[in-house]
Amino acid sequence: MTRVIAGPFNRVEGDLEVALDIQDGVIARAEVTTTLYRGFEAILAGRPPSDALVIAPRICGICSVSQSIAAATALRNLAGGRAAPNGYLAANLAHAAENIADHLTHFYLFFMPDFARAEYAGRAWFEPTVERFKAVSGNASAEYLPARRRLLEIMGIIAGKWPHSLAFQPGGVTKAIDIGQRVRLAAILADTQVFLEQTLFGVSLDDILSMQTEEDLEALRARSGGDFGAFLDIADDLSLRNLGRGPGLLLSYGAYHEAETSLLPAGIAGLGGVTPFDGSAISEDVAFSWFSDTAVTPYEAETKPDALKEGAYSWAKAPRIDGKPMETGAAARLTVAGHPLITALIARDGGTSVRTRVLARLVETAILVHAMQGWLRELRLKEAFSTHFALPDDARAAGLVEAARGALGHWVTLSGGKIERYQIIAPTTWNFSPRDRTGLAGPLEQALVGVETGALGAKSAALQHVIRSFDPCMVCTAH
Amino acid sequence: MAATETFYDVIRRQGITRRSFTKFCSLTAASLGFGPAGAKAMEQALETKERVPVIWMHGLECTCCSESFIRSAHPLVKDVILSMISLDYDDTIMAAAGKQAEAILEETKQKYKGKYILAVEGNPPLNEDGMFCIDGGRPFVEKLKWMAEDAMAIIAWGACASWGCVQAAKPNPTQATPIDKVIKDKPIIKVPGCPPIAEVMTGVVTYITTFGRLPELDRQGRPQMFYSQRIHDKCYRRPHFDAGQFVEEWDDEGARKGYCLYKMGCKGPTTYNACSTVRWNNGVSFPIQSGHGCIGCSEDGFWDKGSFYDRLTTINQFGIEANADQIGRTAAGVVGAGIVAHAAITAVKRVTTKREKTDA
Repeated sequence: MTRVIAGPFNRVEGDLEVALDIQDGVIARAEVTTTLYRGFEAILAGRPPSDALVIAPRICGICSVSQSIAAATALRNLAGGRAAPNGYLAANLAHAAENIADHLTHFYLFFMPDFARAEYAGRAWFEPTVERFKAVSGNASAEYLPARRRLLEIMGIIAGKWPHSLAFQPGGVTKAIDIGQRVRLAAILADTQVFLEQTLFGVSLDDILSMQTEEDLEALRARSGGDFGAFLDIADDLSLRNLGRGPGLLLSYGAYHEAETSLLPAGIAGLGGVTPFDGSAISEDVAFSWFSDTAVTPYEAETKPDALKEGAYSWAKAPRIDGKPMETGAAARLTVAGHPLITALIARDGGTSVRTRVLARLVETAILVHAMQGWLRELRLKEAFSTHFALPDDARAAGLVEAARGALGHWVTLSGGKIERYQIIAPTTWNFSPRDRTGLAGPLEQALVGVETGALGAKSAALQHVIRSFDPCMVCTAH
Repeated sequence: MAATETFYDVIRRQGITRRSFTKFCSLTAASLGFGPAGAKAMEQALETKERVPVIWMHGLECTCCSESFIRSAHPLVKDVILSMISLDYDDTIMAAAGKQAEAILEETKQKYKGKYILAVEGNPPLNEDGMFCIDGGRPFVEKLKWMAEDAMAIIAWGACASWGCVQAAKPNPTQATPIDKVIKDKPIIKVPGCPPIAEVMTGVVTYITTFGRLPELDRQGRPQMFYSQRIHDKCYRRPHFDAGQFVEEWDDEGARKGYCLYKMGCKGPTTYNACSTVRWNNGVSFPIQSGHGCIGCSEDGFWDKGSFYDRLTTINQFGIEANADQIGRTAAGVVGAGIVAHAAITAVKRVTTKREKTDA
């Protein structure tokens, strides 16, 4: 048995280290370390509640709209208020744009470049993959980055500035979209659709949206001249469906809420089906985290760093539901929503895998572009984009939303008109959780066990594939 | 990386044509406020001078500066600069990992001693001997000092590196500390904003790499070409301020008419930045255009000046107002640089000894 430390990782948002025990070329045990902590929860305490709308998004420059919307949702729930119908739609448009950008950035800039590593030289797909995806020199980024920049003009129109937008408020958005802006938004979505159809999928969005079974997927792959097909070919050659098995349970808080409905529902999915989600069952454990012991429910927990704590190895806490770790992200959202293909793949493989996680993200981009076109049509331009209500002085409420990487929650307690306590559990806190007091490992820690690293040890590409398949956002993880 | 390689050599190797190069020079010169002669001078400098390597490091931060930077409006600017930078070192997007990345840093340090630019996103936390931000097994503050030793100059990207930003907000749990409180013996250019505008970032990098020196700075260390005017001076809603027409509630009738956001807490009158002229996301918009006031995110201490939604009480409605330097003097630095010493074994020592024991 040898122990190695892998890290720091590049092409990952933020700082990450993984300690691995490797026996005969196979990972026997993993400890995932979040190495960065800033103390947002302590900073938010004592401030006026509306300050959360400015401070909380600054947890992360990649998913700032998700943080904004979680904070705005929490404040809205504190007041028991409703946003204007247009407010939900405009916020959804911006939020979906950010999440699509995150998914595509993950695919083009973070995940695919690993297949251009020298250890794959000799594979049939190696030369074209190097030409297309190798970091810095590959030609895919030259096509993707302008498409991404174009997509994010949506942020300019709706949110003024991105990252760290200010337009998202409990009552809706500060920006009333006018008819000219609606046309511009439609044009941006049309351009994004062209990029997805011609470059990413090589087939139409309708084709992707109508996929139900593995046979449908195979039929599309045969026709796809896009990067989607290239990924599937590589995934099958390397058996990525058998790599990086998740812990079993998948969590989604539900996403893209409107006044009465939401595009994706909340729930917990396992191999036996989907069960309802109960927010009161969430706990956070600090047995192996550099924090002093505290209450386990997010409403009551304090976040007090203890850098000298014996046995601790991460700045992340260990969130659990009924004592169990949860995997979260696009695969979880689509499974909870009953997407037939993603559900079938997870059932077939006996859980999530590197292949299904990546596939689910790509499928979700198609679902979102389609939904955005619908939201744009639903906007009633002459009606309000924001409602108004006063916040109570003493109350507590949560804002539970989905960021690109999965379930994001803000738990807020107000006392005397000020924030008394603020707790945040981010998607990668779930996925890259350390062990809890029972010794139960987090999702990535479980997914790494059994991964063959061969002679390359911590340098093996398989390790990179598993870690990156979760699309970690480390600055959100410990905040 | 030949020792005498020029910027021109690099971009030609990236497959960029002579014609595009010329166009790039004239556009960049224009954005920096130079005339045609300036474009020619840029062209000449980039063709003949040795390329200035840029090392980009991340401390305690949220990556918003990188996010902003890679969306710069002019595609060539982005490609050129991204390829220039990523030839060297960037945590988020470059190809190398782990030890390889450390080796690139070591090599640059030796080979370009005194010649490279160190661009820093984020800042070092000093509490617990820096353990709140560990990078490659050691505190970021150590890595920062080590790379700064041999740098020609330092770019402090964003509000974190320049002033501390929200992570330094009371009670500043990690003692997050701006770069100029840690590095005292190098020229530092501050490019504040949370994040800074993409075009401002590319403009600054291009200026320095072209001329091998920093642009003219104001007394707070910011490039004058981008930070000499207030948001308020060039705000398209300014006539409504002067006319006393204000938004009173989000999306009210005044908001629909584009009235001034001063009463909603807009900090435009005390904020020096280029948002109202350069704008954001491909020049599409900026916060005030989205119906929300400016929060002053490029100003020192913006995070601890009371609610972001309180109206300013310190400005004059009409007449001559304070200049940037006077504002700078009153905005006192709120962040000290004290290091908390531990009597017992230090946290960092514990972490590094754990590594030595376990690193196979």
